[in-house]
Amino acid sequence: MSSRKIVTSAAVLAAAALALSACAGPNNKPDAAKPAPDLSNLATTTPRGTEAVDHVAWNLPYEPLSLDPMIGYNYAENTVTANLCESLMRLTPNLAIEPGLAESVKSPDATTLVYRIRTGVTFWDGSPLTADDVAFSLSRQTGDAVAYFSDYFRNVKSVAVTGEREVTVKLSKPDVLFEQGMAMAAGAIVQKKAAEASGKAFGTPEGKLQCTGPFSLAKWTPGKSIELNKNPKYWDSKLVPLVKNLSFSFIADESTAVNALRSGDIDGQYFYLPPAGISQLEQSDKVTLTHGKSLVFWTLAATSESGPFANPKVREALSLAIDRNALAKVVFQDAAIPAPTLVGPDYWGYEKDAFAKAHAGFSTAPNIERAKQLLAEVGPQEGTIVLGVQGSSAVHEQTANLFQAAGAALGLKVETKVIPVEQFGNLYFDPAARKGIDGFFTTYYGNFADPLDVYQIFRAGGNSNYINWNDASDVLNKAVSAKDTKERAQLLIEAQKMVTEANPRIPLAYEPNTVVQNKRISGATASFSYLYYPWAATIGGVK
Amino acid sequence: MLLVLLVTSFIVFGMMYLAPGSPLAFVLGPRGGTPEQVAAVTAQYHFDDPFLVRYFRWLGDIFQGNLGRSIVYRQDVTALMSGRIGTTAALVSLSAVLIAVVGVSSGLLAALKSRWVDTVISTIAAVGLSTPVFVIGVALISIFAVGLGWFPTFGVGSGGFDTLVHLTLPAIALAVASAAYLARITKAAVNEERTREHVQTAVVRGLASNVIVRRHVLRNALIPITTVMGLTVATLIAGAVVVENVFALDGLGSLLVRAILQRDFSVVQAVILVLVVAFVVVNAVVDFLYTVIDPRIALGSRQ
Repeated sequence: MSSRKIVTSAAVLAAAALALSACAGPNNKPDAAKPAPDLSNLATTTPRGTEAVDHVAWNLPYEPLSLDPMIGYNYAENTVTANLCESLMRLTPNLAIEPGLAESVKSPDATTLVYRIRTGVTFWDGSPLTADDVAFSLSRQTGDAVAYFSDYFRNVKSVAVTGEREVTVKLSKPDVLFEQGMAMAAGAIVQKKAAEASGKAFGTPEGKLQCTGPFSLAKWTPGKSIELNKNPKYWDSKLVPLVKNLSFSFIADESTAVNALRSGDIDGQYFYLPPAGISQLEQSDKVTLTHGKSLVFWTLAATSESGPFANPKVREALSLAIDRNALAKVVFQDAAIPAPTLVGPDYWGYEKDAFAKAHAGFSTAPNIERAKQLLAEVGPQEGTIVLGVQGSSAVHEQTANLFQAAGAALGLKVETKVIPVEQFGNLYFDPAARKGIDGFFTTYYGNFADPLDVYQIFRAGGNSNYINWNDASDVLNKAVSAKDTKERAQLLIEAQKMVTEANPRIPLAYEPNTVVQNKRISGATASFSYLYYPWAATIGGVK
Repeated sequence: MLLVLLVTSFIVFGMMYLAPGSPLAFVLGPRGGTPEQVAAVTAQYHFDDPFLVRYFRWLGDIFQGNLGRSIVYRQDVTALMSGRIGTTAALVSLSAVLIAVVGVSSGLLAALKSRWVDTVISTIAAVGLSTPVFVIGVALISIFAVGLGWFPTFGVGSGGFDTLVHLTLPAIALAVASAAYLARITKAAVNEERTREHVQTAVVRGLASNVIVRRHVLRNALIPITTVMGLTVATLIAGAVVVENVFALDGLGSLLVRAILQRDFSVVQAVILVLVVAFVVVNAVVDFLYTVIDPRIALGSRQ
C-alpha cells in the first residue's frame, strides 16, 4: 500500500468518525431549558380517550414467562394479566381498594372472611363465574404449592364454598395482608374447568387461559407477540374497552423501544425505571409522558451476617454518606424522589397524617460528620464490602459508583460484583448465590397502599429477611393482625423507626411510574395499579 | 454427524452442569420461596440428580423424539423453537444474499477498477469491519426508521413481503461486517488469480478482458470465496444475537443466550442441536458447490 493511499484512507475514516460523533451530538447536550418533571403531584390516570380504536400496540420489557396469574409476579406478566384476569377486590388507579369480582366482603369474626360473588359475570367463553371457580383459584395457592404469593396465604386455614354465591376463608389468625392481597394478582380468579384441563400448561401459549377481564386472550405467538381482543360481554359498563385489539411486543433493548415509540411503531409502554432515552421522549412531539403514583422503590439490601457490612452502624454510616438528591437527579435523570425511609407517601393508604409526621422525622441530606463519628465509635473495619450489581444496567452501576465514592470518603473499602440479569433473580432466595456479596441493589415494591406490605419482609423467618434481622419482628407480627388502622399505623411507625435505624435495607429513591403514550391515544392508568387494574380498558382514541 | 452431535451435547451439558446458578428463580418467582418450596421444586425437576443420570435421561427423551420442556417458559421446547427458527432462517438467508452480492461485487470492483475505486471500497470495508454491529443497528434505526420512516423499527412483521420489509434493516446490520470481510477476500483472491500464468497467457493471446475475468479469474477465485461465505453464514445463525436484540427479533441466537444464562438445560441442548445440524448442512452445501465450480474436485475427495 502506498503512503498516499494510507493518507486518503485515514482521511475518509476521520470524516466518517466526525459524521458519527455529529450524529450523537444533540443527545449529549445538556438542555438547560428542560424543566425537571414535577414529582410532587403525581398522576393516577391520564385523560380518558373518547374514540373507538381498532388497534393499540403496546410494548413489554421482556416476554412474560406465563400468564397464569398465580405464577405471574413481575412487570411484564402483570401488565398483561391485569387486563385479562380480575381479582376478588380491585386496586383502583388512586391505589384504594374497592369491590371487584366479590361484590361485598363481610367479616363475622376476626379470622373469617365471607366473599359474596358478583352476579352476571361470565368468563370469555360465556360460562358464568361460580363460587367453585373462586374457591379453586384461592385454594390452589395454599399449602406448599408453588405459588408466588404464598406470603399472603400463610395464615389461610381453609377456603370453602358456603353458599351458591358465597366463599368463606378461615384464617388461623387475623391477617390484613391476605385481605388486601385479594386486590392484586393473588386474588385473581381463573376458570376451574380450564385450569384443570390444561394442567401445568395453563397460562402458557399452549394452555388456554380463561378469565373474566375486559380483554380476552386471542393469541400468544412465542417470541413475537401476545394479542388481546376486547371482551364484548364485559360486566362492568364503566370499563368496557374502546380498543378492539391490543397487542404486546417484547422489545427488551431500551433504545429500540424508545425509537419505536418515537416513530409510532408502538403506541405505549410502562417504565418502572426511567429509560436512558427519556429526554428524547420528553422532546418528541409524537408521545406524551406521564409520571404516576408508585409503590416501587430503589434500595440496597444487606445480605451478609459477617464482615463490616453486617454491622448496623457501618450500614448507617454508609447510608448517611450517600447524597440521595444527587442520586435522584443524576442516576434517575430527575425522575425519582430521594428516599429517607423504605416506604414513601404513596403507601399511606390510611392514617396519612400520622405517617407523614413520622416520615418528616427522617432526612435525606447527607451527613458525613455524623457518619465519620459513627465509624469512629465502631473502630477500624477490616475487609471489604462487596455489592452485587446487575449487569448492563446503568442505574445499578451508577448507584454502585456513588457507594464506592462514599466508602472512599469514609475510609471503607467498597467493591462491586457484576451479576448477569438472568442470574440476578437467584439472589432473592438462594443463599449460595448471595455468598461472597454483602448486599445487592434492587427495585422492590409492596403490592398495595399499606407500609406493612414492605416492612413485613422483616418478620422472623421471612423469605426476604436475608440477614435475619428480627428486631422489629414482634411489632410487625402484631401489625399483621391489627385490623384497626389506627393501631396498625402506630405499630408500623414504631417498626419503621427500627428498620430505618438498622438499615437491613438502605432506602435510596422512590421511583414514580412512567407511562408513555402515542398522542393518538390516551387513558392508560398512570399509577402503579397498572399491574393489577385493567389499565387498557380506559384507553381510547383522541380526536 | 451423529457423533458430532453426541460429543457436542455431552460437552454442553457438562459445562452447564458445572457452571453455578440454577433455574430455580424462574420456577419460584422473583420473591423466591420457602425452603420447603425450594426442596419440592428441586425434587420435581430432578435438579439434584447426578450428572450422568440427568444426561442419559435427556438423551433417552431425544431418541423418543422428545426435546423436553423448558423449565423457565413451561412450554415444550419444540413449540418454543418452531416460531424462532423461521425468524432466524429468514434473517440469515436475507443477509447471506446481501453478503454474497455486495461482498463479491465490491471485491471485484476493488480488484479490477481504478485505484480510486479500490481506495474508496477498501476504506468503506475497513469502517464496516471495525464498527460494532449494535452501532450500525442503532444508526440504521435512527436514520431509516425514526428519521425517514421508510422501515419499521422492530419486529418480524406478519409474513411475506411485510417480513421482508421488517427484516431489511436487521439483515443489512448483520451483513455489513461479513460483506466487508468477503469484499477483502474477493479482492485478494482475484488479484492472486490475475497474476497466474494461465491468465497472463490469456491476456497475451488477446482474449476480451470480460471473458478472462469470467472464465479464468472469477471461476478460480470462487473457491476461497465460497469457503469464507459458508463459514460466515454458519456463524451468523448463532451470531445474530446482537442484531436480534437491537431489532427485537426473537431468533435462535437470543433464545440460546437467554437459556444459557437462565440454566434452562433442555432449551440450550435443543438449540445447540439445531445449530450443529445447520452447520453440517451448510458445509455440505459448500462441498457440493466446490464440485460445481471446479469439476476436478470430487465429493468426498481430500482436495
